[in-house]
Amino acid sequence: MSEDSNPAATPTPCEDIQGDGRWMSLHNRFVSDSKGKEPDVLFVGDSLVQLLHEFEVWRKLFSPLHALNFGVGGDATHHVLWRLMNGELDYISPKVVVLWVGTNNHGHTPEQICGGIMAIINVIHQKLPHAHTLVLGLLPRGKSPNPLRARNASVNDLVQAEVASLSHASFLDMDPGFIQSDGSIAHQDMYDYLHLTPRAYQRVCQPLHERIRSLLDKHAP
Amino acid sequence: MSAEENPAAEPAPVIDVQGDGRWMSQHNRFVQECKDAEPDVLFVGDSMVQLMQQHEVWRELFSPLHALNFGVSGDTTCNVLWRLQNGELDNIRPKVVVLWVGTNNHEHTADQVAGGILAIAQLLLSRLPKAKIIVLGLLPRGEFPNPLREKNAAVNNLLRASLPRLGPVQFIDVGGNFVHSDGTISSRDMFDFLHLSAGAYRTMSTTLHELLLQLLEETPQERRASLV
Repeated sequence: MSEDSNPAATPTPCEDIQGDGRWMSLHNRFVSDSKGKEPDVLFVGDSLVQLLHEFEVWRKLFSPLHALNFGVGGDATHHVLWRLMNGELDYISPKVVVLWVGTNNHGHTPEQICGGIMAIINVIHQKLPHAHTLVLGLLPRGKSPNPLRARNASVNDLVQAEVASLSHASFLDMDPGFIQSDGSIAHQDMYDYLHLTPRAYQRVCQPLHERIRSLLDKHAP
Repeated sequence: MSAEENPAAEPAPVIDVQGDGRWMSQHNRFVQECKDAEPDVLFVGDSMVQLMQQHEVWRELFSPLHALNFGVSGDTTCNVLWRLQNGELDNIRPKVVVLWVGTNNHEHTADQVAGGILAIAQLLLSRLPKAKIIVLGLLPRGEFPNPLREKNAAVNNLLRASLPRLGPVQFIDVGGNFVHSDGTISSRDMFDFLHLSAGAYRTMSTTLHELLLQLLEETPQERRASLV
């Protein structure tokens, strides 16, 4: 699927509809933050990345790895693509890029969303040829079974398959089993059936931390 | 301004555009909580309220006060009004209600937003005649000066003047220190120039917590009487 025909893979900044320019402020801050910093790990994506930074788990598990957080709430693949192509990768050389995006691609098919994620992996590889991109699987959402759960699961299947043939990228399933036996997701894990509570973040971040550590170890000369 | 004239005072649920019904799921959960719990304090509003519960400060300062949190991210005054009229005030008798909403009313003018908040305060007073209401002022937002800061400040000015006339309603402005002398807001206080960091929640919670303790102390012990 070419970029022209896939909206999820067409770099697009977020329009300032509300009137306070916050999206561009965040982007500009990430670009200027990256000058003079030397992160080994870069997290990039949507609110699931952004909110991770606000809880204790970030300080405990990821700050020690010299990680930067470029998450923006609401971002879809085409927003992240634009940000990475417009400065957020220009001044740093992280060894590992953790990518978590796709759940906000409303109106796109799983194939389009996968295409968006692959486009991001491509851009990262072009700008940072020595970096490894760790793509995180989309989580289920909604209190009860619904079309978005199916969509996210399809995206994960497609991405996992495409990434298998790449040496510079790999896939990590982030779902420790949030869907309970009755098909519901507990609000103790996702307080709004989308965003993770601190306790759920602890659960998903342990394996993520271990995976990043092993990637960093492999990267070491 | 009546509901017919003020769109911000018209109750309206959130339509499920995304496809996973999350707004209604949260509302239904809150209605169920009303059946199970006996809160002394009820927090209601948008993400500013909802996110507070995810930080340590909630467990430390507000859970011990038997507080319930009915915040939903993205809510406008219309959405909160609808929720309160459709079950989220049933079977509970909180002594204090903390209301924090209005920053998401993008389609409405400052006058309309203030009118919407007033309508919610009036509803609370009519459904909970013995309760005291605390209305938190809208915070400034955006990294630099922008129209939304002016709008939110205008809403606050209108509320400051009109809320006390309704009865036991207090207006508290917790946004005083966020804008620095150069006009900027720091991402250390608002990580996305809208939502508060853990540290900023802690600072504003101290003031709010003290006020709650005062108000709870002043309110007579109703529950004992009602059990007789």
